[in-house]
Amino acid sequence: MTAISVRDQLAARADEGPPPRPPERAGRLEWIAVHLVFLVICAFFLVPFLWLLSAAFDDKASAYIQLPVAPTLNNFVRIFTDYDFAHVLVNSVFVAVATMLLVVFAVSLAGYSLSRMDFRRKDWIVYAVLLLQTMPLSATMVPIYGLARQLGLRNSYLGLILIHAAIELPFLIWLMKGFFDSIPRHLEEAAWLDGRSKLTALREIVLPLARPGLGIAAGLAFLSAWAEVLMVVILIDQDNLKTVPLAFYEAMRTQGGYTQVQYGVIAAMALVYLLPVMAVFFVSRRLMVRGLMSSTRGL
Amino acid sequence: MADVEFDQVWKRFASQTAAAVHGLSLTVPDRELLVLLGPSGCGKTTALRMLAGLEEPDAGDIRIGGKSVVGLEPKDRDVALVFQSYALYPHLSARDNIGYPLKVRKLTREEQQKRIDRVAEMLAIGHLLPRRPGQLSGGEQQRVALARAIVREPRVFLMDEPLSNLDAKLRVHTRTELKTLQHELGTTMIFVTHDQAEAMSLANRIAVLNLGELQQIGSPDEVYDHPANVFVAEFIGSPPMNLMPGVRQGDAIVTISGWRIPLACESGPASGEVTVGLRPEGIDVVPEGEPNTQAAEVVAVEPFGSEVIVDAKIGEQLLKIRTAPDVRPALGSMVSLRADPTAVRLFDRVTGAAF
Repeated sequence: MTAISVRDQLAARADEGPPPRPPERAGRLEWIAVHLVFLVICAFFLVPFLWLLSAAFDDKASAYIQLPVAPTLNNFVRIFTDYDFAHVLVNSVFVAVATMLLVVFAVSLAGYSLSRMDFRRKDWIVYAVLLLQTMPLSATMVPIYGLARQLGLRNSYLGLILIHAAIELPFLIWLMKGFFDSIPRHLEEAAWLDGRSKLTALREIVLPLARPGLGIAAGLAFLSAWAEVLMVVILIDQDNLKTVPLAFYEAMRTQGGYTQVQYGVIAAMALVYLLPVMAVFFVSRRLMVRGLMSSTRGL
Repeated sequence: MADVEFDQVWKRFASQTAAAVHGLSLTVPDRELLVLLGPSGCGKTTALRMLAGLEEPDAGDIRIGGKSVVGLEPKDRDVALVFQSYALYPHLSARDNIGYPLKVRKLTREEQQKRIDRVAEMLAIGHLLPRRPGQLSGGEQQRVALARAIVREPRVFLMDEPLSNLDAKLRVHTRTELKTLQHELGTTMIFVTHDQAEAMSLANRIAVLNLGELQQIGSPDEVYDHPANVFVAEFIGSPPMNLMPGVRQGDAIVTISGWRIPLACESGPASGEVTVGLRPEGIDVVPEGEPNTQAAEVVAVEPFGSEVIVDAKIGEQLLKIRTAPDVRPALGSMVSLRADPTAVRLFDRVTGAAF
């Protein structure tokens, strides 16, 4: 007898279901209605991207959607020659990756502690973390600016990374606490008894099982740091430190009306800016979906 | 290889008012298989977890090999625990699961392989080694968990209801195997269960716990034949011991229904109210007219092949009687019961303690 893998068995079982019924008349109407609604919604969200695409390849782009008369790559060339966009991108990648690493490190330990350790007033701390999540960022803008100045964290990536991490931490700590809660305690207890210290058991047994959660935390932290504008504007004003949002700013400036807004350049920058986000999404989408469904089944 | 001592160990959880473990004192000599037996919530698992270092006692001392382990990290106690859920690492193959404690001890690769292969052969799981826990059945997982405990040759084995997730047939089979294995390895083992049949079949000695307190410790025969109190009498044995209120009158006991049971030896109080305990096999169905019998109405007959359990009622009192397979009284008929004087056990009516 040949061995049949579990996956094949499951696949075979999935195939055994009844064949889909041909749509009846009412069913077909419903199908059309549902898809129409989806189309409208999609169109609504896709219009800005349409503008980006048309403007990025147009030398004479304006604020309206118009197909380029003479499609060109000039805008893409210009962002790298006139606007030093490569340097800006590297800065942004550095900040986002550093934020991601810091966040993953912090939420692993914080989420684990809140999930596993017993200490006084733990519930207060758990809710305090949630409360932080509800605070609007703009409300803390001024104190953050003041603090950063006093601590010498203006025009410093350290400051930017710390604040980006702080923005994302409350939610992701909660997320990771949930993930750790779903991992049976017996597993790490078994590792302790097998002779591992608590920290090593966390690294070798618990964290590998929390990988879907850590993947989400990493993805969300990266995306958030990548897209964050407000804190960048507050904290960075040196040219060599600027990240992508500040480059947009520059492209939009009209030198007191003497020059025009460079719509084509902005669109080209935006497309390049979107690429890493898309990449992160496509690389991690399975992990993200699995993680967001908190699937730790089969443990 | 080591003996284990609990010395006046107390444990209370913040969420509960009553102590989970109540001044537990017991000694497990080297190489013994001790079963901690009791209903759920009796503190047996807590006691085991304190020995493993997963819980710390509030008071008292726990010693392994004569040395106190209180305050030691689990990793420094050199005990192996098989969990009820098996707690196999889902992301590692069976081989890596079994090898994990060896990797921790930094054995050479060859030594690790050798020991894994030896224990895999012992438990007949060689063919399972490449698989992950998710691809193993419950019984196979249980064996891998057992292998992980055995492979490191710990001082003490701890088993937290490791058989309760197996189906009945496999459970009985594994229990015999486990007993043989423990005997061969000669390692002290403490086995927690709520199943009295499992306890009886496995144990060198059984420690019966209830509400965090040790009720009795002794060989399976001792706890069965001479239960220390009514709790043990009712918990051990299937069906359990029959208990009836009675009064001592001279050299006999008279139950509330007027059944006179002569006593074989001088035990218990000279007079006064007692609880009479009779194992189901301590009562016989006899022909009518014999002395010292009691009429009872048959309410159920349960044939088990090798024996028959007859349920008989005296007034409101239900008795379970174990009889030979050919004794089949009709439902609703009246039978005469006679008690074996040597089988009578007497308990204090108030405290429940045996005399």
